[in-house]
Amino acid sequence: MEALALVSPVQSVSAAEPSRTVARAAGGDVSAFEDLYRTHLPRVHSLVRRMTGGRDADELTQDIFVRIWQKLGTFRGDSSFTTWMHRLAVNVVIERFRSEQTRRARLHDGEAIFETLAGRMETPDLGMDFETALEKLPDGAREIFVLHDVEGYKHHEIATLLDISAGTSKAQLHRARMMLRKHLK
Amino acid sequence: MEDLWTGRLSEYLDDELSSDDRRGLESHLAGCDACRETLAELRGVVSRAGALPARPPAADLWRGIAPRLDRRGSVTAFTPQVHRRFSFTLPQLVAAGLALMVMSGGGVWVLNNGGRATSLPPLAANTDPNVVPAAIADPHYDEAIADLEQALQAGRSQLDPGTIKVLEANLAAIDAAIEQSRQALATDPANVYLNSHLADARQRKLALLRRAAALVNRG
Repeated sequence: MEALALVSPVQSVSAAEPSRTVARAAGGDVSAFEDLYRTHLPRVHSLVRRMTGGRDADELTQDIFVRIWQKLGTFRGDSSFTTWMHRLAVNVVIERFRSEQTRRARLHDGEAIFETLAGRMETPDLGMDFETALEKLPDGAREIFVLHDVEGYKHHEIATLLDISAGTSKAQLHRARMMLRKHLK
Repeated sequence: MEDLWTGRLSEYLDDELSSDDRRGLESHLAGCDACRETLAELRGVVSRAGALPARPPAADLWRGIAPRLDRRGSVTAFTPQVHRRFSFTLPQLVAAGLALMVMSGGGVWVLNNGGRATSLPPLAANTDPNVVPAAIADPHYDEAIADLEQALQAGRSQLDPGTIKVLEANLAAIDAAIEQSRQALATDPANVYLNSHLADARQRKLALLRRAAALVNRG
């Protein structure tokens, strides 16, 4: 449990999954599923909050756990349960973005927004903590930063997930880092 | 102030530069204080991001999740037919098991005797595009079945004898269907109907065992 208290790249999660709990939940045991929910809630909610900039994070998190419940029967153990669950969570968040039909507009608008925000962040509010600064990034850059630097996805994976080129992913990541570097205090 | 190399610093950090570019950037870094400082800051951002603590939401979200699980459980997600079967009475379950056995045997017999296999619809075609039919040799499926059978055996005393009897009859019928399909597939491995039939029977078994294990857990 304690190992899950810190967010680290998905690939580095090494805690052995309580496979019995997962199996019981997959069998329809709600109390076992609640155990999984309690264990993984901080990570899932943090992932959602960071990817969305805090918008509708609670509602999306609930949707994700309902989806996990629905899909548990398809979990075959090819990856760890944590990895499987986080992939599913990321997909739900991205689906939500796509359903808003603003993904491409946000990524393209991000170019202009970057300039505005970069100017604003050149004189950063030093009282602003890192998480708050992260929330203020343009949507596209924030998603890529969270997926790459927080969750450990590779650029080619991000490119597939977000339907963009790996080059765009790299460029947005660099710009996000450049803005965030002023908020390390 | 940004120079030509500043925009490549993240790629350098992530070890994504070609060896030539890497050498060029390192040469530049040796003489550029600003880029060295920026690189150190970017390294700090990456390090910080990797150590961000996970925080739970301010309010517990379970109350908004639990009510949605009853009607959209993992069992129903596996195959929609399972949901309807749960409302059957015990005699209906017995009849369903027998019907499955008879239909399975009949279907396989027809195929083995030159019948028009493609004219027969699958017994219960899976309409859920998310469901991946189990392969014939699938260690994960076998492991899941073994786990569920073990859980069921351990909690057997929690079920009433009538339920156990029905359960065993249905499992036997499904096992017979699986075995018949396997035997038929041994001589006609590419037959679409037989493969679909086998996958369906295996999913029925998994769903039935899951349902039984849930009964045990609730008991």
